[in-house]
Amino acid sequence: MTALNQASVEAPAEKPRLAMRVRAEHLLTAATVIGLFALWTLLSRYKLVNPLFLPSPEVVWKSLIEVLTSGYQGQRLHQHMAASLGRIFAGYFSACAVGIPLGLLMGLSTRVKAVFDPIVEFYRPLPPLALYTLLVMWLGIGDTSKIALLFLAALPPLSISAMQAARSIDIGHVRAAQMLGATRMQLFRHVFLPSCLPGICTGMRISLGFTYTVLVASEIVAATAGLGWMIWDASKFLLSDVVIMGLFVLGLTGLALDWAIRQLERLITPWRFV
Amino acid sequence: MAWKRSLVGIVASVALTHGAAAESKPDKVVIGYLNLVNAQLVTKALGLHEKELGVPVEWVRFGSGGDVNRAVAANQLSFGGVGNPPASIGIGRGLPYKGIFALNMLGPVESLVVRESKNINKPEDLVGKTAAAPFGSTTHYLIIAYLRAAGIDPNSVKLLDLAPNDAVAAWLRGDIDAAYVWEPSLNKMVMNGGKILMDSGTMAGRGYPTWDVAVVMDEFAAKYPELVAKFVKSECAAVEFWHKKPDETAALIAKELSLPADDATRMMKGTNVLPCAKQTTSAYLGTSKAKGKFVDTLVSTATFLADQKRLPKVEARMTYEEFIAPKYLETSLGSS
Repeated sequence: MTALNQASVEAPAEKPRLAMRVRAEHLLTAATVIGLFALWTLLSRYKLVNPLFLPSPEVVWKSLIEVLTSGYQGQRLHQHMAASLGRIFAGYFSACAVGIPLGLLMGLSTRVKAVFDPIVEFYRPLPPLALYTLLVMWLGIGDTSKIALLFLAALPPLSISAMQAARSIDIGHVRAAQMLGATRMQLFRHVFLPSCLPGICTGMRISLGFTYTVLVASEIVAATAGLGWMIWDASKFLLSDVVIMGLFVLGLTGLALDWAIRQLERLITPWRFV
Repeated sequence: MAWKRSLVGIVASVALTHGAAAESKPDKVVIGYLNLVNAQLVTKALGLHEKELGVPVEWVRFGSGGDVNRAVAANQLSFGGVGNPPASIGIGRGLPYKGIFALNMLGPVESLVVRESKNINKPEDLVGKTAAAPFGSTTHYLIIAYLRAAGIDPNSVKLLDLAPNDAVAAWLRGDIDAAYVWEPSLNKMVMNGGKILMDSGTMAGRGYPTWDVAVVMDEFAAKYPELVAKFVKSECAAVEFWHKKPDETAALIAKELSLPADDATRMMKGTNVLPCAKQTTSAYLGTSKAKGKFVDTLVSTATFLADQKRLPKVEARMTYEEFIAPKYLETSLGSS
């Protein structure tokens, strides 16, 4: 009783304190970013590092403007972004379309799991570049092999997390719903989906990260546009300003996509965010 | 406070090693070598550097001069090897190395192969076709030079960045109709419906020579100049071996690169390995007083790369002259 009372007394004070804490955390984040940027500026201003390794922020900024306006090797920055994002979306969403239902089925049926588990578990730890040489031989040097590589990188986290989500459904909830006379459709809509969605969403976020990590590998062979290709090509010519600029753009688009998935998460699983 | 003390310690020890190193020997020498056929493979197979330098030698194989440049930038090598395009790039980006020895002049070992069924007989026929070359390499430079010399805009050909082995896969699948690559990938395309349209030897005759040079890191050369001279000496011995005993050389190379002996022999014929006495003539490295034609090649390669926006700018001629360092060759020629 006392505990309850205490909680109710403290509850009103909770909100502003939370807001303050959030603000303090924002400040810390901002301080980290500004601090790193300041360190970068100082290191290059006083020539403490070889500009070949770490070009100054001004030089990187200039290369951004250069690539935005006149382009890198015939393609402007938005074209490189469009080429990469097009491949990422194609690979990632087709992996979602296949991986999530597959994972759910694997979670619900040990037989389905027995069929697909060895395939996914075998290729999952293979380095993407090793896999890619084979994909190039099978699917050619066009976008198909690139998208296939992104698809293969995106698939395991999706199917594994969906499988875990399906397996961790509380059987008590299912029984309770059945006792209340739920139809199969209702069971799926009101019990199955809500309990699996959080796990699926987490898998989607992890999977996007995986997809991003193989982007450069997928664009090494025979690409003429793309952020990964631009970084790879520039590194051959020791154009480290373009490399760093490309990494920033890649990182920022990654953050934006991750943010978009989190918004989607809030939209489809609102109960987790109240 | 502790970090300050350790920092002082590091500075002191760096200063000490710098002072004491002039007489001592390094713990080991790291040689980066290119995955192509020249007399350096003989040096490696016969262990000439190991005997001559008197220190452990670590050999690291590189697929392209661009990769060597990356390793040089990261200060991972004592010696390396680069072609003229990566050398121009490295010099332009201020890499601390010098070209001390001509590994090879490239001939038909690098060629432009085209699909026979597509009826490609002259540069104009390449317009609208898909062609491959490893970007940043000698052949990337030459395929663009070949097109431009014929008055064709290189952008009218769809040029793809493919490593030679990937180019073979793309060729077999029919994804590409032309490729400027080197052996042994080249031969696989010729055997599968390809014919040679142009080769690097002919391009050299038209004023576009391509070559590979051995480079030494500036810091290493400053500390151990006598080891650099010894390095050149064993390379010269290997060149002599190459010319005197072609059959044994072919066998050694076949073993080093895990190739059939026929391939090794053909690749040797397509490569011009220069005797050391010839290297110091004006057509090649030249002498310390009068640097040779290699400087011109570096300048024109840099101009070309700058046109392609691969290099921010062309340096003063002086910078390219400083890169060519025949003095170790001169020492070794003088002493023998």
